[in-house]
Amino acid sequence: MSVVFLFAMVILLLLIGVPIAVSLGLSSIIFLLVYSDTSLASVAQTLFNAYAGHYTLLAIPFFILASSFMSTGGVAQRIIRFAIASVGHLPGGLAIAGVFACMLFAALSGSSPATVVAVGSIVIAGMRQVGYSKEFAAGIICNAGTLGILIPPSIVMVVYAASVDVSVGRMFLAGVFPGLVAGLMLMAGVLVVAKVRGLPSQPRASLGEFLGAARDAAWGLFLIVIILGGIYGGIFTPTEAAAVAAIYAFFIANFVYRDMGPLKDIDGSALGALARKPLALLSVWFHGDTRATLFEAGKLTIMLLFIIGNALLLKHVLTEERIPQAITEVMLAAGFGPVMFLVVVNLLLLIGGQFMEPSGLIVIVAPLVFPIAIELGIDPIHLGIIMVVNMEIGMITPPVGLNLFVTAGVAQMSVMNVVRAALPWVGIMFLFLILVTYVPILSTWLPTSLMGPEIITSR
Amino acid sequence: MSNDNEPSPLAWTDHIEETLIAALLGVMTLVTFANVIARYVFESNILWALEVTVFLFAWLVLIGASYCVKIGAHLGVDIVIHSVPEGPRRILGLLAVAASLAFCILVLIGAWQYWLPFVGERAWYEVNDIFMPNALQFLAGWLNEGERWEKLPRFIPYFALPLGITLLTFRFLQAGWRILTGRQFSIIASHEVEEVLKAPPLEDRID
Repeated sequence: MSVVFLFAMVILLLLIGVPIAVSLGLSSIIFLLVYSDTSLASVAQTLFNAYAGHYTLLAIPFFILASSFMSTGGVAQRIIRFAIASVGHLPGGLAIAGVFACMLFAALSGSSPATVVAVGSIVIAGMRQVGYSKEFAAGIICNAGTLGILIPPSIVMVVYAASVDVSVGRMFLAGVFPGLVAGLMLMAGVLVVAKVRGLPSQPRASLGEFLGAARDAAWGLFLIVIILGGIYGGIFTPTEAAAVAAIYAFFIANFVYRDMGPLKDIDGSALGALARKPLALLSVWFHGDTRATLFEAGKLTIMLLFIIGNALLLKHVLTEERIPQAITEVMLAAGFGPVMFLVVVNLLLLIGGQFMEPSGLIVIVAPLVFPIAIELGIDPIHLGIIMVVNMEIGMITPPVGLNLFVTAGVAQMSVMNVVRAALPWVGIMFLFLILVTYVPILSTWLPTSLMGPEIITSR
Repeated sequence: MSNDNEPSPLAWTDHIEETLIAALLGVMTLVTFANVIARYVFESNILWALEVTVFLFAWLVLIGASYCVKIGAHLGVDIVIHSVPEGPRRILGLLAVAASLAFCILVLIGAWQYWLPFVGERAWYEVNDIFMPNALQFLAGWLNEGERWEKLPRFIPYFALPLGITLLTFRFLQAGWRILTGRQFSIIASHEVEEVLKAPPLEDRID
């Protein structure tokens, strides 16, 4: 019963407009004061160790930073040009290219809203120019943007890995095939609509344009090699990979694409521009654009990690009270098999995802359902991917669908209109959720074949 | 954001806080990157790199949380506060501030209880890898009976906790005052997402 009180308090606080982080933290502290003899000092310690004690979570600020440099630094533009050159000639070409660009950007960035902003702010306007309706453009980008957290790297996967102690590398690999399938499903959906409604297609790009676009985008796309290659080649940890990605994106943005920083607006080749203004190598570190990008990324990091830190406090409460074990017993006693269990997990996350920020929700729900999943023989990596896909759907359904709000901003539409525009495509995501949930091999094949079978340390 | 239309006499503090946030994140990234370089190019690890990074991480989030209250960047559920008329909305806003202050005060008590022993009887307690800079050794005379530290004493990195929560309390008090005087109606991020509207101009090639 006490747990019901705990969650009721969280929801009540959320509804009156208390920040998510504070709602989680305050409820946990009150619960601890009422039901246990934990001291406030140990609460403070838990909060401090949420940051100083979690090496894995450290990857998050670096991935956010890399993604910020790529969004301001013109990587998205090049990726979109490349996407249009490759698939633009299909029926509904620009929309399909939009999905493809989202997939590519998702492979560089770990966040869905960032993907929507980076791709959407260019593609939605472009689609309207060639005669797509605003609603169609916003709906498809809003959905395709959610691939940001499914295609590696992914902040939500880092959070899942940190909260149940599985390998980040495995989670990243597990997201590859589901990410491709989800992208292809959305593309197929666009293709069908395009045939029915006769949507426009782009002229087929010449070979020269295709190669030019590919070469231009290659600098940005090379990040995929750095991140995934670096992690699986054993060169660095996921956290280090994220930091290297951030520094690489910083150099590409400032010195190769030159859409920001001291060499902005200087024509000519990258080396030529640098030769004319060699001091840029020093001034770039203190340039206003660098500071602004660092601050923006810092702000996002703080927002996100303040929630995660407080969610860890709540997780601490739940494990102290042995809630996961209690739930496991109830569920097993009720005779739940794997299929029923996964349905329950899906429902829980879909409902929770309406009110919570995805990372915070994962921190709370993952430890709750993890022991049961192990008991029922469900692969922890597979469970993680199911959770991520649920979070994707949570981001495109109201009231707290982050992607909806971001899309509304980018497309300059009201949130309600975006909700309506996104709805038909949410159906495809639901189909995809069912597919991912009941076809575990889709997620587990790649990590298992590259890294060997998962060893489950029973807890 | 919602509340900064009038020029504030305290704008310079904004500048300091924003630069601090940027600098903390920048240094974290550089230190981690440098460690990778050290390992592959110089075949040695920077021993203190990891510990410095995680402490900077804690400083970033704990100190930065207060600035995010100031600019109204913390996420929340705004569906109820957007669907009630202005009077109740202000009351809900004040209730939310009250809850946030309760959180702050509880954590603040805990933070000081946790931190004070580290400047008091446990002042000798050091971190694992970071060396104590000479410039700070004068603290030894005050706090550690004159005995110099080899490594950084723990009370220095841990100070993020009491400092950060004190600032957080102050920012929530400020936000409460602004709601009371009608200059702001909630302490969570409004969903108009003005910032992401810095949409780049439409490129010619996408037409």
